[in-house]
Amino acid sequence: MPGKPELERLYDEHAQVLFAFLLNLTRNEADTRDLLQEIFVKLARDGQLLSGVREERAFLIRLAHNAAIDLMRRRGTRERAKENLAELSSPFAATTDPDEQIFREELSVALAELPEEQRAVAHLKLWGGLTFEEIADALEIPPNTAASRYRYALDKMRGRLRPLYEEMKKAE
Amino acid sequence: MMNDEMEQFERRLQNRPLKEIPGEWRAEILANCRGSRVEDREPEASWQSTFIARLSAIFWPHPKAWAGLAVVWVCIVMLNFSTHEKPHRVAEKIATAPQPEMVAELKQQRLMFAELLGATELRVADRPKSYLPKPQGKRMEVFTV
Repeated sequence: MPGKPELERLYDEHAQVLFAFLLNLTRNEADTRDLLQEIFVKLARDGQLLSGVREERAFLIRLAHNAAIDLMRRRGTRERAKENLAELSSPFAATTDPDEQIFREELSVALAELPEEQRAVAHLKLWGGLTFEEIADALEIPPNTAASRYRYALDKMRGRLRPLYEEMKKAE
Repeated sequence: MMNDEMEQFERRLQNRPLKEIPGEWRAEILANCRGSRVEDREPEASWQSTFIARLSAIFWPHPKAWAGLAVVWVCIVMLNFSTHEKPHRVAEKIATAPQPEMVAELKQQRLMFAELLGATELRVADRPKSYLPKPQGKRMEVFTV
């Protein structure tokens, strides 16, 4: 069982990455907190959970991904369909620049429109800083699948954000 | 050209900062983890202590009433044992010698049975034998030769 300093170390090193990943998947801060709590309680209860794990972060991302998938399945598709994409919690920080704020909001919606498996890969590649091999390890998929999912996700987001993106480029 | 544009788009997305995890979560989550540790939890009670605890929960509210009921049950059991006949007495009753009238009756019945059996045997003996025709084929002649 990880002791107090070990749990704190795990929290300090990985909680931010897990938080952003879970928030992007659930789009709900309360759910994100519950899932983060669930992961750390699991780590506190089972000391052997991390023994023999080579990539700590990849393992924790896998735990987070599985927990988020379980939650979404429990909730069901009916409840998700009712949710308004614009009302969902954005994974991006707020800014005072209005144009930039609009872009971030549009990006948040574009991400929310992606299928969950593409969104997870796009998030881990763009903001998690993981390679395709690491993503494949974390999500238990082949590296080629991770790469193709990323390409699909990027194409969709680019198509969705093109008008705004072009406008911003011109302004720069 | 296309790849350059894509890379530029990727970089632009990567530069968007993500939300920070709320600072107060750390203390809350770690405190909940400490509360849920196995060693911090009370050891599980054995089945005996659980059984005793349940019994005391049942009997504790009215101990005098339960004690009175127990005394009544003991009285009923004792009364039941005292009124029962002992098994050797029953055996003695069975083993007593039969009365002479009963013996005479039994002898008479035995004789009647013997007569009846004798009569049926005679009837079976007096019955004529049934005629069974013998085979009359050529095979019979061959056998006789």
